[in-house]
Amino acid sequence: MENKKKSLILFSEINFRQVGHLFTIAMRYLITVLISISAVAFSYAQDDLALYEPTKADYDYWEYRRKMTVPPYGLDKVKGLIKKIEVKSDDNDDMGLSALSTADFKSLTLREKFTYTMIHPEVYSQNCDIRIMLPNEEQKVFAYLLSTLNEQTWSQRQLVFLRENRDSIMSYIEESTLRSKRMGVNYKDVIDEINGWEMIPFIITYFENNKKDKDALTLLLLLMKKGEYEEFLKSISYRKLYGQSYNYETYIDYNKANEELILQRAKGYFKEKSAVRK
Amino acid sequence: MQKIVLFLLSIGFTISSFAQDLDFVRIEEGTYTVGEEGAVLNPKRTVFVKEFNIATTELTNAEFLLFVEATGYRTTAERYGNAQVFEPGLEEFRWIQDSTAYWRFPNGVSRGGIVNKMDHPVTCISYRDAIAYCKWAEVRLPTFDEWEVAAKAGSTGKYFEGASEEKIEEYANIWHKEDHLKPDFSDGYMYTAPVKSFKANPWGLYDVLGNVFEFCEGRLPQDKGRKVAHARGGSWWCNRTSCAAFNTIFIGSVAPMASFSNLGFRVVRD
Repeated sequence: MENKKKSLILFSEINFRQVGHLFTIAMRYLITVLISISAVAFSYAQDDLALYEPTKADYDYWEYRRKMTVPPYGLDKVKGLIKKIEVKSDDNDDMGLSALSTADFKSLTLREKFTYTMIHPEVYSQNCDIRIMLPNEEQKVFAYLLSTLNEQTWSQRQLVFLRENRDSIMSYIEESTLRSKRMGVNYKDVIDEINGWEMIPFIITYFENNKKDKDALTLLLLLMKKGEYEEFLKSISYRKLYGQSYNYETYIDYNKANEELILQRAKGYFKEKSAVRK
Repeated sequence: MQKIVLFLLSIGFTISSFAQDLDFVRIEEGTYTVGEEGAVLNPKRTVFVKEFNIATTELTNAEFLLFVEATGYRTTAERYGNAQVFEPGLEEFRWIQDSTAYWRFPNGVSRGGIVNKMDHPVTCISYRDAIAYCKWAEVRLPTFDEWEVAAKAGSTGKYFEGASEEKIEEYANIWHKEDHLKPDFSDGYMYTAPVKSFKANPWGLYDVLGNVFEFCEGRLPQDKGRKVAHARGGSWWCNRTSCAAFNTIFIGSVAPMASFSNLGFRVVRD
């Protein structure tokens, strides 16, 4: 159809003087011939369209952003329990999610529950969760994190568990991150979920040791947004990232100035929150 | 003179394109531009598609009922009680699992059924359910390229002619509030709308943006060999400040067994 429309324009530009007052039926036959000719010509004209081929670096960094951290706490036991509840279909295809029984879930220790929640989200995530890939992501600080896991997310009971035990959860994340030297997207997501502003100094130190992980800056932005930190809310960065037309593709450029600004504001936010708590 | 010629040409174009069937639009075989510059998963490129016929509307509850009555088919949500539903008050991207929800009660029994909504798109069906319907009805889902060619309707941009992210209200049932904490009836509908409630795209496809995400056939690099379902076009849930997926570029990902009240489909006939 696009070819047809293009041909219509060509036709009107070149031949309208000769066409004169043709009747509709006659026009259609003529159009068909011209469309066929121009369609061929147009298909060749399209060859010079810009094609963006994702580079290996694009894929690698995107994978890095979506990589999660597996907690070590009771891992073998938890994996064993998950294996028991997995449903396999005859054609070895997805048969849906399965969750531990209430009794089994309750029987886990706090640390084991944390491990289970981090590696086994119990419900599906929706079709438009954040999985978009953009070019040169390593040079961007995004407004949002990527969705945690493949087409899955935490159930209500898992969210309640995380929120009700936020102090313990924060200590596990710190301990595990120091151990693995990596803060996976699931950990960052939890910190945002439980509004773990107390972890800001830890996140800043983590970022300073892992400058590749720009999502640590995103996490700081999300915490300041969640806490409605006034200095951030009135900033140009806020308007650009979360203003009227933001969505999860929004980003600011990663550069020294933006990095310093985010870190400085996050420190200010932490100081303000800490003072209020005292 | 030039205007008259163009007008006559457009009449000829319209007749030859749309006189095939009341419910399907025939898309001519040809080379088309799809994708968008800078979109890694859907880069701008030219594709060749063979002739196909695509339904002018999303599949309705009435049409899905015929299938269920003829076959006794039980959907994924009915078998597993794992459907995800929405109600105002949830944080962004949060849904609730509701074991009472299935296509007859897309947001759970407590939020009402489809008795007076037979002309709405069927939802709360999984990709597997859509495939089962297609097999029975001897139709199929559109491929990524087919869906996008039909949705763009000759445009090479992110939207078909007449629509844009800012000017979408006339064409699509979407969520207009900044978040999902309170109900949004600003376009007349909080959940789905009857098909054809909004203006069609230039090729006569209704609700190609908004209303419900439409399952398509195709794979993305991130699938890595796993079977992942993909749906396109945005839905009544989508707003400008979350996913803004109501465009012709976005390709979503969802588990093949997942049932949501904003997931449906549109069929293709060869």
